[in-house]
Amino acid sequence: MQQYIIRRMLLNGVVLLLVATMVFAALRVDSDQVVNRFAAGCFTDVGADAESCKDVAKNLLGLDESIPKQYVDFMKNTLTLDFGKTFSEKKPVLHEITSRAAPSIELGLLQIVVALLVGVPVGVISAIRQDKWVDYILRFVAIFFLGIPVFIIAVFVILFTTRYAGGTGLDQWLGPGSEWKDIWEDPIKNLQRVTGPALVGGLGTGAVLMRFLRSQMLEVMRQDYVRTAWAKGLRERVVIVRHALKNALIPVLTVIGLLLGAVISGNVILETQYNIPGIGFFVTSAALQGDFPVIQGIVLVVAVMLVFINLMVDIAYGWLDPRIRYS
Amino acid sequence: MAQEQAIPTIGPAAPELALPHRPGAIRNVLKFVRRKPLGALGFFFVFFMIAMTLGTPKAEFGVPELPHSPLGFKLGKPWLAPYGEEQNFKNVTGRLNTDAAPSTKHWLGTDGSGRDNWTRVVWGARRSMFIGLWALALATAIGTVIGVISGYFRGWFDTAVQRLLDALQSFPPLLTLILILSITPFTSQPSLLVVSFALGFVGIPQVQRIVRGVVLSTREQQYVEAARVIGATDTRTMSFYILPNIMASIIVVFSTGLGVVILAEAALAFIVPQFVPQEGASWGLDLGRAQREGLDTHTWPVIAYAGAIALAVLGFNLAGDALRDVLDPRLRVG
Repeated sequence: MQQYIIRRMLLNGVVLLLVATMVFAALRVDSDQVVNRFAAGCFTDVGADAESCKDVAKNLLGLDESIPKQYVDFMKNTLTLDFGKTFSEKKPVLHEITSRAAPSIELGLLQIVVALLVGVPVGVISAIRQDKWVDYILRFVAIFFLGIPVFIIAVFVILFTTRYAGGTGLDQWLGPGSEWKDIWEDPIKNLQRVTGPALVGGLGTGAVLMRFLRSQMLEVMRQDYVRTAWAKGLRERVVIVRHALKNALIPVLTVIGLLLGAVISGNVILETQYNIPGIGFFVTSAALQGDFPVIQGIVLVVAVMLVFINLMVDIAYGWLDPRIRYS
Repeated sequence: MAQEQAIPTIGPAAPELALPHRPGAIRNVLKFVRRKPLGALGFFFVFFMIAMTLGTPKAEFGVPELPHSPLGFKLGKPWLAPYGEEQNFKNVTGRLNTDAAPSTKHWLGTDGSGRDNWTRVVWGARRSMFIGLWALALATAIGTVIGVISGYFRGWFDTAVQRLLDALQSFPPLLTLILILSITPFTSQPSLLVVSFALGFVGIPQVQRIVRGVVLSTREQQYVEAARVIGATDTRTMSFYILPNIMASIIVVFSTGLGVVILAEAALAFIVPQFVPQEGASWGLDLGRAQREGLDTHTWPVIAYAGAIALAVLGFNLAGDALRDVLDPRLRVG
């Protein structure tokens, strides 16, 4: 186990190095665009002409050295979490990212909670009532949420609440707002803003979970130990929750790990739609302004986060299911 | 279904009695509809979307250019579009007929500039469809080559490639897309081909992973072993023995991938409109525009474009699932 964790850490180090190298290469393949963007803001300085502006921009982006030197500098900066300054306001990128992390983390966690609260019971019911009408209805709803993209569902929810449910209070809970309060400032206002995207995103993720859990449950229910549990006369609830669900949930854990990437992607869209000032909103507004250091910083931060979350999921997997051998 | 069982006969049986009657094409289609009603619904949406893209070809050959010259020759007005792409309509008072409700003249109403929504949806289908096809062509071509080589040779090459692509794949695809597109020039004139290649690039890891999985089981088959025994080179084994036998999986990956790419393009145009060309009808762009200008007034355009994206993606998903069950049950998950 220890050996496995050490090996995974080393592998993760290599993966992160690769991601960082790809980000490094991205700017060096074609930097004209980014340099021009950066230089565009410098005309306010007295006596600066376009060429010297570009030189300054290249210098600040670290593009005026030899490639190996640039690479070493880039890696050094990345390791010390120095992603440069934003184009628009010339503030340190890392600080800008961390100051926007809270809403994104909140939204992501809420989505996972909604997904579990919906996906687990629905998956279990669908499995123990296999091929009954309950199962058919639940599966059809799941296909609906799997097949129709989350941002389209969000569009319809926003349309419905702003146009037809205005003034009923529903629009405050499900629609987008303009003003943002952190959860420790004003919990009610904060929850009003995140409920809509958390529900919409959570149901989409919950549908994936439900489908996976259903097939796992069906498999586990056929196992000998479940038959034994039935045979010794345990109550249905005990057999399903203690014997079947407990074992069916273990593989689901890995799915949650894999889904995180999708949740982050989805949040980029949902935050933009619902005006939530998180990292996703930040990356789209940076993309609109061509603010490359911000995009680069967010990509690297998200990569580090994902790699470590996946590592934790792997370790938890082995801890929950001792049959897994790490070889 | 009255399918007669063939009775093995010895001796001079009439040749037409010896084989069971093969069901005709129509009967096969009906059987598919009955067995997989959801899949059939999906195929209906897919074929309808393909029908939307069709138009009279013009004999102007040149470099492929999206959306109206996807294969190097120009396509005219779509047959299903009643009006032109940018045609505005005025009402009786002479003002622009904006945000009208559906009527016999405008099946899905009109948008904020007085254009017919149904017409815009039909013109936009061409853009979505051909971006999807080009992206998937790139992703499948490169993904298949990587997957087959990696799965066939295994060893250190396989391990290295898989680790690298794992890193790419665990990453949120939308962020990768934003990273790629933010270095390509988009202030002057972004090209749809660039956008579709970026989308295809993001899809390579998924395609190659599935292809590699199938190759790993195919390479253990006896006919592959037989090919090696008779002295076929590695290249020959891969291209003449393995590749034809994984075609079904590749087709399934292609059809499910199309839905994903169409959705990704719409989402990208929706949240970062600067990354895609602005002129012409586009589901994602038009939806974003309508939402930004206000959902309460632009209800009908939002319903039209969001509905089009939803039905297209749903259609490709359902059709892909059914195709997988029929062609390649090995790929089934869950």
